Amino acid sequence: MSAATALPRRSPAARLLAMREMPIIVFFLLVVAGFSLTVEGFWSLGTLNTVSRQIAVIGLLSIGMTLVILTRGIDLSVGAVMAFAISIAGMLGILGGWPIWAVYALMLALGLGLGLINGILVIHFDVHPIIITLGTMSIIRGGLMVITGGMFITPIPSGYLWIGSGYVPVAILLMALVFFQLVLWRSRFGRNLYAIGSNTEAAAASGVPVDRYRVWVYVISGGLAALAGMILVGRSGFVQPQVAFNGYELSAIAAVVIGGASIFGGSGSLVGTFFGAALLGVILAGMTMLGIDAYWQGAVQGALIVLALSLDYLRQRQSERALRQARGRAT
Amino acid sequence: MIGKLPAGARTVLLLIVLNAAIFALLAWASPHFATPRNLDNLMLRMSEMGMLAVGQTLVIVTGGLDLSVGAVMALAPVVASKLYGMGVPFWLAVAAGIGAGALVGLVNAVLIARFRMQPIIVTLATMTIVRSIVYGLLRGRTATDFPDPFLDLVDVRLAGIPGLFLAMLAVAVAGAVLLNLTPFGRALIATGANPAAAHLAGIRVQRVLMAVYVLSGVIAALAGLTSTIRVQAATADAGLYAPLEVITAVLIGGTLITGGRGSVAGALLGVLTLFLLVNGFTLMGLNPFLQQVVMGAILIAVIGQDRFRGFVMLRRRSQRPAQARGGGP
Repeated sequence: MSAATALPRRSPAARLLAMREMPIIVFFLLVVAGFSLTVEGFWSLGTLNTVSRQIAVIGLLSIGMTLVILTRGIDLSVGAVMAFAISIAGMLGILGGWPIWAVYALMLALGLGLGLINGILVIHFDVHPIIITLGTMSIIRGGLMVITGGMFITPIPSGYLWIGSGYVPVAILLMALVFFQLVLWRSRFGRNLYAIGSNTEAAAASGVPVDRYRVWVYVISGGLAALAGMILVGRSGFVQPQVAFNGYELSAIAAVVIGGASIFGGSGSLVGTFFGAALLGVILAGMTMLGIDAYWQGAVQGALIVLALSLDYLRQRQSERALRQARGRAT
Repeated sequence: MIGKLPAGARTVLLLIVLNAAIFALLAWASPHFATPRNLDNLMLRMSEMGMLAVGQTLVIVTGGLDLSVGAVMALAPVVASKLYGMGVPFWLAVAAGIGAGALVGLVNAVLIARFRMQPIIVTLATMTIVRSIVYGLLRGRTATDFPDPFLDLVDVRLAGIPGLFLAMLAVAVAGAVLLNLTPFGRALIATGANPAAAHLAGIRVQRVLMAVYVLSGVIAALAGLTSTIRVQAATADAGLYAPLEVITAVLIGGTLITGGRGSVAGALLGVLTLFLLVNGFTLMGLNPFLQQVVMGAILIAVIGQDRFRGFVMLRRRSQRPAQARGGGP
């Protein structure tokens, strides 16, 4: 009996349910339903507005983080990169009276540049990227505070507020999601990211420029961090270097992991990440409305990460077992 | 002649020389450095970090990492303080605090050893959870509910050396003995060097890993109590930068990040190096945020001299077997 006939055929409905992102989508819908029923005023346009603007920043960071994690990497420095991009560009450009497009261009350049440095360091040292990016995170944070002296920039010209107002942030997020999901599905680069994550050696042996792609994902991550920063500035109305210390990187990692991507690389999607970020945003909004201390929200985030990791591990074991069974039947 | 010594001893020797050089430099550069008060302060500050370094060395030797130590450092004294404030006898409250550290260590241990998750991610998650619990318990205040005899321990001196520093040395000696002279220590090293081989050789890898993470949690709790005595209060931000600093110190000390080789003495000398640098910064009035930059740079530099792969973009990666694991602990 061949392995192919050993695996059961499934109906389209069953395949939909078995989709990797299904648990998180279902969980998300349950949480939204739960909050709508128990919290006064949750199911309203106002909530949608607030939540959508909040998750736009983390969502953009998570897109970059998804790509990085797909290749078995991780980027602890995205929060610092975001802060650096907005603060330095703000210091030079906003205070220097530059045109808005020039300031945005500088933010983007800084994000891409820092991402490039991260990527190059990661491929040059045979150490887990978490340690490298822990180091770069420190350097960027410290350097940022030294250069800016912790100075706020406020008020800022109203032209910067557009990008953070109304539904613009979430529109940008959705556009980025669609774009990068298409990249993952349709381009050689995107497909090879999965290959690099699942089996780096095999990917390298089949001619995939593994190192170059790994650098690219960090560059993209940096660029998206700059974009997220633009929205953050637009939404909050000021430039604040201290956001480097707010733990945005952990929220991004949480969104990716909760969204079903495997921390071991090789599987996951932006659809899942989107729902992961949405879930976090909804839970945050719900807890705030319920009057739960902001302090406990971090605990919930961590607990969700552990839950998602456990599911990931169980899924991994299950697929290993299924593979062994299929092999066993084939011999 | 020096080249003939084993790598560990060579690193220790180098670090002693390096530290002596920095010491001399600082003594020359600043009149305030070589004063009894400054040196006393230095020894006090090193006490908690030194303890953490011992625990982290043991964990890193097994090829793992424990990022949650800083958060546990903050948790233990807060737990103790809250319980004491509720009328629990202090010794029991302290035991509970240490127990809390052991509990976090146990959670880490189970997820890492039993469920085989990556230590980095697991301890990152527990770090987040525990830190939030600390913030939630303190709500922006600091906990000062401690009996005076406890807080007065900061003044204990033996031949001019702070009692806390001696306590740290005791932990260090215990750790060094554990690592180098006991079967458990050898099991740790074997597990880090080659878990599969260790398993085949009969080592209960799961048990060993579980024990080391629980131990790390306990040591972190002790370090937290030490820190509380030193600053006379339990703050929510205690140990915030501890993971970065302690890992850097341990790596400076010659412990390999991939495990299989480690030195407690080296780790302590690494701690000394970092603290001398920090001390130097403060005395010379340099921006404290610059310290973070230097810390991060040192971390990367220390990893670099050990694990630099060269300009590999120009050659195929297929000849690096380490990449099959993703190159990570």
